[in-house]
Amino acid sequence: MTAVIEAEGLSKFYGRRRGLENLTLTVAAGEVFGYLGPNGAGKTTTIRLLLDVIRPTRGRIRILGKDPRDHRVRARIGYLPGELSLEGTERAREYLEFLAQVRGSGRSQIPVLAERLEADLSVSMGKLSKGNKQKVGLIQAFMHNPDLLVLDEPTSGLDPLVQQEFLAMVREARNAGRTVLMSSHVLAEVEHVSDRVGVVRGGRLVAVEGVAALREKAIRRVEFHFDAPVPPEAFEGLPGVRDLRVEGTAVRCTIDGRPDALIKAAARFTVVHMVSEEPDLEEIFLAYYSEEEDHAYAGA
Amino acid sequence: MPTLVRKTLRDYRRSLIGWTVGICAFLTLYLSIYPSIAANPDVYGDAALAKYPGALRDLMGGLDDIASGAGYLQTLVYQLFGPLLFIVCAVLLANRAIAVPEGKGTLELTLALPLSRSRIVLERWAAVAVGLLIVTVVSFALVTTMVALVDMNVEVDRVLAAHTGLYLLALLVGTLALAIGAITGRKAVALAASGGVAVASYAIESLAKNVDAISWLRWVSPFRYYADGNPLRLGWPVGDYLILAAAIAVLLFTAVRAFDRRDVGV
Repeated sequence: MTAVIEAEGLSKFYGRRRGLENLTLTVAAGEVFGYLGPNGAGKTTTIRLLLDVIRPTRGRIRILGKDPRDHRVRARIGYLPGELSLEGTERAREYLEFLAQVRGSGRSQIPVLAERLEADLSVSMGKLSKGNKQKVGLIQAFMHNPDLLVLDEPTSGLDPLVQQEFLAMVREARNAGRTVLMSSHVLAEVEHVSDRVGVVRGGRLVAVEGVAALREKAIRRVEFHFDAPVPPEAFEGLPGVRDLRVEGTAVRCTIDGRPDALIKAAARFTVVHMVSEEPDLEEIFLAYYSEEEDHAYAGA
Repeated sequence: MPTLVRKTLRDYRRSLIGWTVGICAFLTLYLSIYPSIAANPDVYGDAALAKYPGALRDLMGGLDDIASGAGYLQTLVYQLFGPLLFIVCAVLLANRAIAVPEGKGTLELTLALPLSRSRIVLERWAAVAVGLLIVTVVSFALVTTMVALVDMNVEVDRVLAAHTGLYLLALLVGTLALAIGAITGRKAVALAASGGVAVASYAIESLAKNVDAISWLRWVSPFRYYADGNPLRLGWPVGDYLILAAAIAVLLFTAVRAFDRRDVGV
């Protein structure tokens, strides 16, 4: 498979402040790549480098086989900025038509996508609600059927139903052989559509994993409530179980990886209630960090 | 017309209408009182105004022969108020080319279009030039009409020469604002620097005639090339206007080069 995005040793410094350091990443054609990290980690810096809005301090980028400086390549890219700013008295429809005209395609998709996302395009740009603004942003990114979609925090401001529709659009794009790079600070937003995710933190890409593998690494907080007090020994020493606290009828712990052993241990008693929190990204980071520290320690 | 020029002009539409109406209202108001001035030469004639010191007269816009049609037009329109209004209009439009949308973040999607950076600067500048031209043409038509109506006795060709100067001067300062915006991306810097240059240049042109120590500054002052030729009385100062046009070209070239090289919106 050919690479749609190739970054090699990519670094960006804003003066002395580090935006991104030594990123090497390849995204293949037809892949949906989730780009994860907390705010300020370097996601937006990476994305703006791909679009040639900012220029790398060091390193090399090829996008759809071209240098991002070649402006013609941008006709084949759909871009949703992380901080989408739409202003003015012009109606959203007129603005989208202007974009279609410059790109030379996509005009016919405007009403189709507007209906799908239930966007009101008769409103002037400056008066769009946050959700509607994001919809206009998505329409302009998808409307010309670009070979590559670069979406920075695409689901922010969308209500859950529209989010579902958006994820369906991403899946359709992938099924049509297009490539998607989407960023998020929440794993849950990208995990259902992404093939791989990259985790960026402090300007460095700390991991690239298949989604399934990342989920296995995720820490999950679990709580069981039983109809009678349970003996602590029944839960001690289970593989992957940490921070175990047994208090009367309740068992609380975090699990690292598969919950299988814990579930089987709990199944021997009568479970009246169970809580399992979705792993959040913060905790995955912690998992990675402790791993990195372990390596550092082992190397010392 | 290229798409981005047309779109930018559409964005400018409201301001352009506002400026055209405002400038025309100003011109109508001031030019319509000319007959009462011409009718009272003992109050407004040269002898009556000679009591003001020369430098003050220069700062006030000449006050030279304001009872004649050409003198009145020069003092009221082309000396101070015309350049002032045109320059402010040009700077505000030019600032909306790069610096303002960059500050608001709306430039991001424009940059993501398959247009080169140079083309974005050139087309945005072209929209400023066309927009300013619209204001110029309409106000020129109004001035020539008023000149005929109130019997000012100034030839249309001379008004055209003076108005052309107005256009070039304003476009020059506007292009300066656009260039500073393209270099720095900061609208406040562009506004302050271009406004500062305009005010300093006007002051130099007004005072340097009487102050030898700074007279050399006139040669780098845009107002010298606008005003020194006195087009209302002497016709087209072709050389001076070519210098203004050349300065515009240099600034535009600088803007294109600078914008092509830098990070946007950081």
